[in-house]
Amino acid sequence: MGKPKFYDFCVHAVPDGENMIEQLAALAWHLGYSGIALANHSDKLPQSQLVLPSTNEFEFFRGIELVEENPSKLHGLIGKFRKSVDVLIVHGGSETVNRAALENPRVDILNHPAFAKSSGLNQVLAKAAAENDVAIGLTIRPLLHSRGPRRVRLLSDLRSNLDLARKYDVPLVLSSDAMSCFDLRSPMETLALAEVCGLEEDEAFEAITVVPEKIISRNRHGPGYIREGIEVLKEGDYI
Amino acid sequence: MKRLLPSLRAKKRYLAFELISEMPVSRSDLVKEVMSSASSLLGDVTASECDIKVLGFEDSKGIIQCSHTKVKETRASLATLIRVNGKRATVHILGTSGTIKRATEKFLQNTTFEPKIRIKSKTSEE
Repeated sequence: MGKPKFYDFCVHAVPDGENMIEQLAALAWHLGYSGIALANHSDKLPQSQLVLPSTNEFEFFRGIELVEENPSKLHGLIGKFRKSVDVLIVHGGSETVNRAALENPRVDILNHPAFAKSSGLNQVLAKAAAENDVAIGLTIRPLLHSRGPRRVRLLSDLRSNLDLARKYDVPLVLSSDAMSCFDLRSPMETLALAEVCGLEEDEAFEAITVVPEKIISRNRHGPGYIREGIEVLKEGDYI
Repeated sequence: MKRLLPSLRAKKRYLAFELISEMPVSRSDLVKEVMSSASSLLGDVTASECDIKVLGFEDSKGIIQCSHTKVKETRASLATLIRVNGKRATVHILGTSGTIKRATEKFLQNTTFEPKIRIKSKTSEE
């Protein structure tokens, strides 16, 4: 099987976060990640299109985290950005946004769906998520930066979402949601933290390796791709 | 007092780690933070079962000892460490081992990372 490839699908670089993408990447590579997705919030995008550095061993993915309260505007933004990004994340946090995101099959991940007095998911939304193959993003940063009652709250929300996700088979993605270099944690520590917080070992492992890979293979097409269902095969590709 | 027989002693694991921090930190500050983040995440009962001790800490690298059944919990609690003495810091575990000697040999020699990110952060400030 070889060495597993770990991905961090939500890091924020300048101007959203604090550090440059190169610094984040250097540290992520050192910590043992195989790739990261730069997912700045859509209200803090850089003026010019960012050129992602490319290397052979370390992969960069173009991502975005959409922040929009109005569902119809959110659908508009999804349509606008879908073609240009590899990973499309929606910044959850209210009932209407969560619903709009989970019912749109073009969304990849819904981050932190929890809002006041609710974990953000229920059986209806969980079913929609499973049908449309939208993953629920579990972010590490809030868990690190809160203590006491606030962290207790976050963990119990996480647990109830986890129960729903297990029941309806919703994919999960573990990401750091890093705003600076100091929010990045190595894959092994992320896994350990996830397990302490209630995930099973294999669930946590899938959430950081398999599910991200699936999202990428869904959004990055081979050279012969024309549109969904139509692909130009080379001789020898077909049997 | 007579020392316990080797077979009766608690089994341990040694985690070699490096600290990535804004400022150099002292060992005593680190110990304080490690303990407080462990008891905050795991609660005092589990944290005591983990038997966490910071053994050596020099040049932002060191070894932490824990119970051999609680490596996962220890890792998780070290991951939640965000500040030492008010300065931001991250513990990165390089590897685990059953003996101090092996942990030192395997993980704490010939590791050259630190300059890489520091140089870059300096250039960005200019």
